[in-house]
Amino acid sequence: MSKRYVMVIDLRRCVGCHACTVACKQENNVPVTAFRTWVKQVEKGRYPNVRKVSLPALCNHCEKPICVQNCPVQASYQREDGIVLIDYDRCIGCKYCIASCPYDVRFVNPLRKTVEKCTFCVHRVDRGEKPACVETCMGKARTFGDMNDPNSDVSRLIADLPVSPLKPDSGTGPRVYYVYPDELAMETRGTDANYIKYYHRDLKQEISLSEDDIRERHKALEGISRADRFYDYRIDSNRPIR
Amino acid sequence: MSIPKLSRRQFLALSAATAGVAALGSRFVPLPQTITPAGAAEPSLSEGQWIPTCCHMCGGTSGILCNVVNGRVAKIKPNTDNPIGLANVSSDYWQHKSEGAAMCPKGNAGIFTLYDPDRVKKPLKRTNPEKGKGVDPKWKEISWDEALDEIAAKLKALRDNGEAHTLLWFTEDSSFTDIQADFCDLYGTPNYSMHSNLCDVSRKAIFKSVMGHDRPLGDTVNSKYILFFGWNPLSATKWSHLPRTITRGIENGARFIVVDPYCSFTASKAHEWIPIKPSTDGAMALAMANVIIESKLYDQKFVDDWAVGFDQFSAYVKDKTPEWAEKITGVPADTIRRIAREFATTKPAIVDAWSGPGQHSNAVQGGRAIAVLAALTGNVDKPGTIMIPNKGGGAHPPIRVKKTDKPRLDGLSKFPMGHSSGVYTEIISRILDGKGPYQPKMAVVMFQNLVLSIPGTNNVIEALKKLDYVVVDDIYLSETAEMADIVLPGSTYLERYEVIGQWVTWPVVSLRQPVVPPIFGQLPEYDVVIQLGKRLGLKDADGAPFFESLKYEDYISKMIQGGSAKITLEELKALPGAVWMDPKGTQYEKHLAEVKPPEGATVDPKTGSVKDKDGKLVGVKVGDKVHKGFATPTGKLEFFSESLASKKDINGNPIDGLPAYTPRDWYPDDKFPLFLINWKESHHTHSRTFNNPYLMEIQNWNRLAINDVTAGKLGIQDGDEIWVESPYGKAKAIARVTQGIHPEVVGWQHGFGHWGFGKVAKGKGTADGQFNVTKSDPISGMALHKEVCVKVYKA
Repeated sequence: MSKRYVMVIDLRRCVGCHACTVACKQENNVPVTAFRTWVKQVEKGRYPNVRKVSLPALCNHCEKPICVQNCPVQASYQREDGIVLIDYDRCIGCKYCIASCPYDVRFVNPLRKTVEKCTFCVHRVDRGEKPACVETCMGKARTFGDMNDPNSDVSRLIADLPVSPLKPDSGTGPRVYYVYPDELAMETRGTDANYIKYYHRDLKQEISLSEDDIRERHKALEGISRADRFYDYRIDSNRPIR
Repeated sequence: MSIPKLSRRQFLALSAATAGVAALGSRFVPLPQTITPAGAAEPSLSEGQWIPTCCHMCGGTSGILCNVVNGRVAKIKPNTDNPIGLANVSSDYWQHKSEGAAMCPKGNAGIFTLYDPDRVKKPLKRTNPEKGKGVDPKWKEISWDEALDEIAAKLKALRDNGEAHTLLWFTEDSSFTDIQADFCDLYGTPNYSMHSNLCDVSRKAIFKSVMGHDRPLGDTVNSKYILFFGWNPLSATKWSHLPRTITRGIENGARFIVVDPYCSFTASKAHEWIPIKPSTDGAMALAMANVIIESKLYDQKFVDDWAVGFDQFSAYVKDKTPEWAEKITGVPADTIRRIAREFATTKPAIVDAWSGPGQHSNAVQGGRAIAVLAALTGNVDKPGTIMIPNKGGGAHPPIRVKKTDKPRLDGLSKFPMGHSSGVYTEIISRILDGKGPYQPKMAVVMFQNLVLSIPGTNNVIEALKKLDYVVVDDIYLSETAEMADIVLPGSTYLERYEVIGQWVTWPVVSLRQPVVPPIFGQLPEYDVVIQLGKRLGLKDADGAPFFESLKYEDYISKMIQGGSAKITLEELKALPGAVWMDPKGTQYEKHLAEVKPPEGATVDPKTGSVKDKDGKLVGVKVGDKVHKGFATPTGKLEFFSESLASKKDINGNPIDGLPAYTPRDWYPDDKFPLFLINWKESHHTHSRTFNNPYLMEIQNWNRLAINDVTAGKLGIQDGDEIWVESPYGKAKAIARVTQGIHPEVVGWQHGFGHWGFGKVAKGKGTADGQFNVTKSDPISGMALHKEVCVKVYKA
């Protein structure tokens, strides 16, 4: 049986620190103002019975990725092990996939102008490493592995704990599982009052950097980020795809 | 050297050529396993080298590994060979090492600080004599030799004139401090000061006086009850292991309680958040002690054997009932009663406090009231309690020097529990009021932004203006650099050395080392000190030139050899992860170690203290055995401190030997009705990470948190522009209306409000220090960052 990569995020261990957010950007050299993973944070309750709850989000590498189906140029594709990728050479930036995705995890790279998203750090996975967000996670909330291997950590967590994906009814078969996700956090959208608004805004305006400024800062890792060095994202790179 | 600027094509051509494999006509490098020969001594260029070092995006120094490719840092990841970032007790470390260490967002963004285009690249000389906030210094680039010659000439003139003591020296706390202190001693100024008194010297004083150790650490993984007063370790993650060790403690069954005016992310993970009025934590702790003693829930045997002053303390807290504390703290009496019982009956338990209650004028006594709860319940230095760490450390290499007999400007010796870091607020106040023993003339500021860090921003600016000559060494043109006469380009942690020997509970020594040479060819801070010392020809007490042939590598090699590792720098570099650790691991209940008292030793019948002929404490007699005891004056945990009771605070007031509660000096009134507090979040350190766009985009504004009900009364809505006003400052801010803050308190994240630094930091948020009084607590000299009252109204 081929591998089926999934992620399990135990919200009891997530402290909302955003280490994952930044580790991803460092590993994959994602430009300022764009994110492949993000920790949504919501305030819940009324004083003094109140708390902030966190919900990390990323591409769900769905079993039936609608983004792949809807791509008019077959730039989005899925590897045999379930990882959904984009061939940046083929992508024409039409954003059809962005509109299709039920999880709002795709975006246009502000510098490359093609669509991108989380790759489960496929370049690391192929080297036997965990994704960067999993490696750096401060609470060790994130676990990654092969769901088809009954002895893997993810299989055991899925068997032992009440896990659920986001929007189980999306029909796409999401493969990021959450342990005790907060319902309010799952339901809250950017416009809702209890969303912690200072985490949700028009970054381009607020970070006050021009595209040239963003490009200049992006140069720190250009060509040498591990994602760039260790993986060929082209669909015809001789890796088995579905 | 400069940053090698290779185009992507050149770089790939080079990497492919070095690997000896033809590129596959792709713009991507082939998979590494095809290009890295097994057992190759030199890794291929595309794989790069992994160099172990220690982070310094904050002072937590977590272990990291840096991937250096083609002379550039390409990736920073956690270093599992270093316990800092994984665990703080050895059993947890060895058992869970395979889970891997962790790294916070700041650590993950380190590369973008190293290569920040806004860094200072060349020495800069001021050409505009006028100084002030926002006044353009009209910088002129000069060479390193010109800069060092000019600074050395100024220092020499001062010294030749018999005014060496009028030099002020300020530095960050966790890097290259020893060599700077040596410089000051050899030069002849007593005014070497560093960051700690802006941070946690009150906590140091608290635990030093109660337990004899100034930096105890909680063993949360093994605890069953964790009670934090004003500590936010899941956000202000000083060590990257804290989120794991605390959430793992909860998973292992600990109940977690956070007492804090603000519902931080730490409070959000707690079973219970208890909002409290700022600075009143000590009153709640005393009421807890009242309940624990009244209900006889304290550890009588431990107290009898290992504490002094219990009877006095017990008499003192007799009327400190939960009802008494409710009036002061705003915490319901029933809650205090319940928490007291839970805490006393759940073992092992941790009680700890940090900067929340620690930055007010009543910080030391309030904090002692919290610390004695650990003594009362016997929760000290056992698994799952607050631990007394064995520092690994590096020893300051011995130096023979005759120190100046001139007093310090800040009057540090008059603070009964003052810390060797000095008292910054007193320095600023003496420059301004001229009431010190002399007027200082010159300052050297290493890697510190005094203007945004010392309470009372305008006072700091005015004080710096009064100095004849100011040198600032920083990676950015900070608000302090704006006041300088000369600015030297600083180094990041990825370009320099340091030895790290603390932050876990057993002796561990780790190394920070340059993973790339200084990228602008600049001198690291310690080499600046050496170069200045050389130019001045500074000599030790034997007349030997100290800096003439000194290499910093040799200096720190001596530090490492003098510490518990007893190995050289090169030997430390060669160890896995560049970390040495004591294989014996964490030792518990170290006070129980038996000692053999010397001939002629005497026992104090009241305390059991055993003293030698010269009156030096050598142990503690409990029953018929003599133990090592604690490092307090009596060798026991002190409910009552004779030593403190015999002293006066800086204002000349007698100090209570008991942890007596007194309100802080400045309370809200009709004019300024709200407490203003500040805190830190995981993505920023002090005021220094704010030009890193990869951190600023997580949160780039410190909106003022205000309780929903309070905001309603003031007609303020979420996102409104508001005025914040204290007697010392008035500025605009943006409101964040929340349920998660005490209704009588407003607060925000520290470090915002830059007008210098660079493109990313500038103009974002509101600087918090401008509302403060320039003052410190009267016992330890801790800067009063949180003793502020304000009014808030719609702009």
